[in-house]
Amino acid sequence: MVRFSLNGVETEIAPDAMLLTRLREGLGKTSTKVGCEIGRCGACTVLRDGVAVNACLVMGWQLDGAEICTIDGLETMPAGQLLIKAMEIENGFQCGYCAPGVMMSLAGLLSGETIPTDAMIEEALEGNICRCTGYHSILRGARLARDMIKEKHL
Amino acid sequence: MKVARPDSLEQALSLITDGGVPVAGGTAFQLEYAQGTTPPAQYVPVGHLIPTGIKGLTIGAGTPLEDLRHAGIPLLSDACRDVAAPNIRRLGTLGGNLAWRKGCLVPALIALDALITTTNGSMPVLEYLSAPDGLVLSITLRPLEGGQIQSTWRKVGLRQAFTASVIATAGMMSLCDNTIVQIRLAAGGGATPAQRLTAVEHWLVGQNIHAIDQAILRQRLEDAIIAVDCPFRTASYRRKVAAASLAAGLFGLPLAPRNKMPEPSKTAFPPALTELSRLKGGDRWHTRPDMPAKLRGTFPYLTDKRADGMLVGRILRAGRPHALIRSIDTTKAESLDGVEAVVTHRDIKGLNAFGIVFQDQPALCHDKVRYTGDAVAAVAAIDAETAERALSLIEVVYDDLPVISDASCALAPDAPPVHTAGNLVTAVAHGRGDTSTGWAQAVHIVEDTYVTPRQMHGFMETEGGWAAPDGDGLIICAGGQHGSRDQMQLARILDVPADSLRVVTSPTGGAFGGKDELTVQPALALLAQKTGKPVRLHLSRAESVQAGTKRNPLTIRMKTGCDAQGNLVAQEVEVISDCGAYASLAPGVLETALEHVVGPYKIDHYRANGRLAYTNNGTCGAFRGFGANQMTFAIECQMDRLAVLAGLDPLEIRRRNLRIPGSPGVLGQRVAPSERLSEMLAAAAHSDMWQPFPVNADEIPGVGMALNYQGNGLGTIPQDEADFGLGLKDGKIQALCGLDEMGQGLTASLHGAVADRLGCARTDVCSVTGDTMLAPDSGSTTAARGGFVVWQGVNRTAPAFEAALLERAATIKGCTPEALKIVPGGVGETRLNSSTPCVSFAELGEIAPVMAHYDFPKTDYTKGNARFIFAFGATLARVAVNRITGMVRVVDLEMHTAAGPVIDMASYLGQMEGGLVQGLGYTLTENMSYQNGRPVAGNFDSYMVPSVKDVPEAMRITAHEGLDANDPYGPRGAGELGIGAIMPAIANAVATATGQCPATMPIAPETVLEMLEGAHGPL
Ligand code: FES
Ligand code: FES
Repeated sequence: MVRFSLNGVETEIAPDAMLLTRLREGLGKTSTKVGCEIGRCGACTVLRDGVAVNACLVMGWQLDGAEICTIDGLETMPAGQLLIKAMEIENGFQCGYCAPGVMMSLAGLLSGETIPTDAMIEEALEGNICRCTGYHSILRGARLARDMIKEKHL
Repeated sequence: MKVARPDSLEQALSLITDGGVPVAGGTAFQLEYAQGTTPPAQYVPVGHLIPTGIKGLTIGAGTPLEDLRHAGIPLLSDACRDVAAPNIRRLGTLGGNLAWRKGCLVPALIALDALITTTNGSMPVLEYLSAPDGLVLSITLRPLEGGQIQSTWRKVGLRQAFTASVIATAGMMSLCDNTIVQIRLAAGGGATPAQRLTAVEHWLVGQNIHAIDQAILRQRLEDAIIAVDCPFRTASYRRKVAAASLAAGLFGLPLAPRNKMPEPSKTAFPPALTELSRLKGGDRWHTRPDMPAKLRGTFPYLTDKRADGMLVGRILRAGRPHALIRSIDTTKAESLDGVEAVVTHRDIKGLNAFGIVFQDQPALCHDKVRYTGDAVAAVAAIDAETAERALSLIEVVYDDLPVISDASCALAPDAPPVHTAGNLVTAVAHGRGDTSTGWAQAVHIVEDTYVTPRQMHGFMETEGGWAAPDGDGLIICAGGQHGSRDQMQLARILDVPADSLRVVTSPTGGAFGGKDELTVQPALALLAQKTGKPVRLHLSRAESVQAGTKRNPLTIRMKTGCDAQGNLVAQEVEVISDCGAYASLAPGVLETALEHVVGPYKIDHYRANGRLAYTNNGTCGAFRGFGANQMTFAIECQMDRLAVLAGLDPLEIRRRNLRIPGSPGVLGQRVAPSERLSEMLAAAAHSDMWQPFPVNADEIPGVGMALNYQGNGLGTIPQDEADFGLGLKDGKIQALCGLDEMGQGLTASLHGAVADRLGCARTDVCSVTGDTMLAPDSGSTTAARGGFVVWQGVNRTAPAFEAALLERAATIKGCTPEALKIVPGGVGETRLNSSTPCVSFAELGEIAPVMAHYDFPKTDYTKGNARFIFAFGATLARVAVNRITGMVRVVDLEMHTAAGPVIDMASYLGQMEGGLVQGLGYTLTENMSYQNGRPVAGNFDSYMVPSVKDVPEAMRITAHEGLDANDPYGPRGAGELGIGAIMPAIANAVATATGQCPATMPIAPETVLEMLEGAHGPL
C-alpha cells in the first residue's frame, strides 16, 4: 500500500489503483467527479502537491508521500475561498458536474506565483470539458477571482 | 497488475526484459486500455531513475511536458503547448511522449534533429522511432545554426485544442541572403507515420525563398507526405494541410482573397433590448441558489450516493448491432462470490417494453438485440469489480443478423426488418396550396440536401443513480426529466402499482433531452427488487456512448423558390430521419421538424413529407431543439441562398417573407400573440456584427445570421398539464414543482418567480422538485415548457397562499390582513413603508400547500401535433475560415431573443450561451457516426464537444422582454432557443467566406478547403 495525504488526512491506496476509483469507490469521496476515465474531460481534477492533475490518470504508485487536495479541501486554500466567492457572484456553472474539476484546475493556477492573464486562464481550462455553459460564465468567474486576488496582493 | 519498485536502472531494465512495461507519467495508458489494449502484467516505473530537467539543449527524458511548454525552447515549447492539456502535461514526460511513438511532438523532434540517448547508446530520433532500443534517458536537440533561422510548427486536430493529432508538421531552415542553406521538414503525429521529407528538402536547398513557386512546392510536399485515412479525416486532407502548413509556415501565405460581406439594410428602429449580463443586469442579477453547493463539491447528485451495504450494479450490453438471442445462461455469474443477483428478461413480471411514444424497447432483451447498447442482463454485487467479472461470466448465444446501418436502405422493400412490423416507424405529410402553381411563379430556385449529424448529449454526469426497497415498494433515484412518467413506465415493467414506486429524478448533471426516456431505471429497479437491498449503478462514459440516446440524424431535401422580388412562392421538402433501434421520442422529433418546415415565413404553396426509419444505429430521441433546429438549418440556409440569387441582402429577403403576426401557423392553427419576428430582424439589422473585423493572416472572415422560430410545449396531441403548489414549512415558502433541476436553473427560476410575485426574498423560498412523493406532477422538463409552468404555477397559487399567510399573520398580530404585506423574511405592516418583518415566516408555522392544476396552452388543431406558443430570436455569427486547415473558428456570436419576461437573468443567459456553444459543436465538430451498426467514437477522446478554445471570444445576448397587451401566457421557453439557429448562422457565415453554403454538418474542413479553392482558386 502507498501512503498519501488526502486533504490533510493520511490515507492509503494500492499501487495499481487509479486515484479516482480509490476516491469514489473505495473511500466514498464522491465530491470528485468522473466523466471519462481516460483523461479527456477533467471532471476528476485534483491538486497533487499543489498542481492540477487528472485523478483518473494518477495511479497509486505515483502518490507516495503526495498531498492530494480535492474540492473538499478547496476552502482551506486562500485562493480557493476567493475563487468560490467569485464563481458565486458570476454564477459560473449550470448543472455543476464539471465544477469540482474546473475549480481545482483554477485553484492550481490561482495559487501559483504569477497572477494569470486571460490567456493563461483559458489554457489552464483546456482539459476541462463543460457541456452546459459554453465556458464564458466560468471564464468570467475565473477572471473575477483573479482580479480579487490581484487586489488583495496590492 | 503488479507495480515494481526498481531501485536502479539495471533493475528496471531486467524487469523490462522480463516483460514489464516501463512507465513514466503513464498518461497514455488509460486511453490505450479503453481502446482495447490489454494492460500489462507489470508496470515498471522509471520516472525516478531517469534524468529530469533541461541543461542547455539536452533534456532529461523524465522532464514533464508542461515544464518544456514554458521553457522557451524554439519549436519544442510551441509543440508542447499543443499536447493534450496542462493537467496532463504535468504528468506526461518528453521521454514517454517519444517512446509512445504516436505523440504529436515527434515532428518537432525530427526538425530539431534530436539525438536520443538510451540505456543502449545514442541515435538520431528517426532511427530510434524505427527501432526503439533501450530506455530513453535524454534528448539532445540539434537545431540548425548559422545564418538566419526560421522555423514553423502546426498541429491540426479535430477541434481547436485538447485533441488528438490529425497531422502535425514542423520545419526549420537556415538562410543566407534569402537562399536556403539547410532545411528540415517533418510530419507525423497520431496515425501519421513519423517522417522527414528529404526529397523536398533537397529540392529546396540552394533556392532563393522569393523565387520558390508555392504551387509546385505544395504539390511536391503533398506527393512526398505519407498519410493514412481514418474515420475522421482522409489521407488526402492530411497531406494537403501538412503541405500547406509547411509551405505557409516557412515561406508565407499569399494575401488573403477579398470576399464580399453582406451589407444589411436597416429599415425599422431597433427594439428595446435588455442586455443580459451581471454588469448590465444590476439588481436583476442573483446568485443561483444551487451555486454555493455546486462550487464546494457538496451538491447531492444521485450518482454520488454511497451507503453501507449498498450493492453495485452493472448492465450487460449486447455488444453487437443486430442478432437473435438463442440463450442466456447466468449460472456461472450467479455462483460467483459476491454476486447478489443477476436479472434477465425472465425476472420481468410486467410488460418487458418501454418507450414514451411506442413501447418497443425491451427493459432486458429476450429474443433479439437491435443495437450494440441493448441491455441484456444486469448484475448486483458487493463491489464494481465483482459486478464486472460477473458480467463476463454471463453466457449469451447469439445468431447475428444483417445490419441495417442506413435509414434510406432501411426503407427499401427488401430490407431486413429491425422490428417485425417493418422499418417505417412513422410518416408525416402535410402541405398547403398547390405547388405546381407555386413553381410556375418561381424565378429563382434553390434545391439541396441538408444533412445533420447524430449529436451526443454529452451531459457530464452520465446516466445513473440508485434504487432501494422502500416500505412495500421501491425508491428509484436516477436523473430524469419526468418522474411521474418514469414511475408509470417502471410500474408497467415491474407489474406493481405506480404509487408503490417513489421516483426521484432531480438533481441531475445535465440532460438536454437525453434523460427524457428511461435509461438505467429498469435495471436498477429490477436489481433492488430481486436483492431487497440498495443498489447503485452509474454508466461509464464508454457505456453511455454505446447505450445512450442521441439526436436523430436528418437528411432534408429542400427545394424552395421565390419570384423576382424575392417573395417565396413554393417549397417541397422530403425528410428521412434515422430512428436508431427504438422509437423513444423520435416520432415527435420528426413531427416537430416538419412543423417548422416553412420557418417563420409565409409560403402559399408547399408540400412536406417525412419518414422515420428503424436502423441498428444506436437509439435516438429527444435533444434540445427537438427537430426544429434541424429544419431551421435548412430553411435559413435556403433564405440566404435565395437572397443572393434575388440580389437582396439576408435581412431584406427575410423581411419580405416574414409571416404576418396573428396569421395561422403552418398547419393552419391559431397561434399565441406577442410575435416578435420583425423586432428580432430589426435587432439583427442594427447589429455591429456586420462591421468588418480582424482575423489572422491565414483566415478569411465571414458573417451570417439566422432567425429562430421555436414552438414551445408538447403540442396539441400529447397530454400537457401541470400541478404546482405553494406552501409554508420550516420558515420557508415552499414551491412544489415536479419539474427537474438539470442545470438549467429551475430552482433559481422558482425562487425568482415566487419572490417577485410575493415580495419576499429569494432566500425565503425553497423548492421541492423532481420527486414523485414530495412534489406534484408538473409534466416533463422538456420542450422549453418550464418557464411557463413555473410562472403560471406561481400566478395561480400566489393569491390564495398570500391570503392564507396574511390571515395567519393577522391573527397573530391582532390586526386585519389588509394592514399586512409580505416582505423579505416574513410579514410586515403596510403603513410602515418598510421592508422589515413584524412576524417572521418561521413564526407563522405551517401552511398547507395551495395547489393548482393547469394546462400548457394549446391550439385548436388536432389533425396533427401543432404548437400554440412560439419564442423568437436572431443569431448572428462571425467566423474565420482557415485557409490552411479548412477549419472554422467562430469569432463572435450575438443572439437576440424574444421569449417574454426573463424570470432569472443568470439562468436565462446560461441557457442561451450554453445552447449556442452546444450548437456550435453540432455545427463544427460533433458527430457520433456509425459504421456497420457500431459507433466510431468511444469516449471523449474521439467525440469532440467544444473545448474552452472552441468557443467564441465574445457572446452578446439580449432579451426583448415585452409581451402584447393582454397576452395571458407569460414567459416563453428559453431552453431551446439558444441552439435553435446557430447552425444556419454559422453556415451562412461560412458561405460568405467561401462562396458556398455547407449543407452537410458538421462542416468538414476538407469540404471547406474545396469550397475555398472553388471560390478563390488555389490558396
Ligand atoms: S474522468 Fe478523469 S479526465 Fe475524465
Ligand atoms: S455546468 Fe454542467 S458540465 Fe459544466
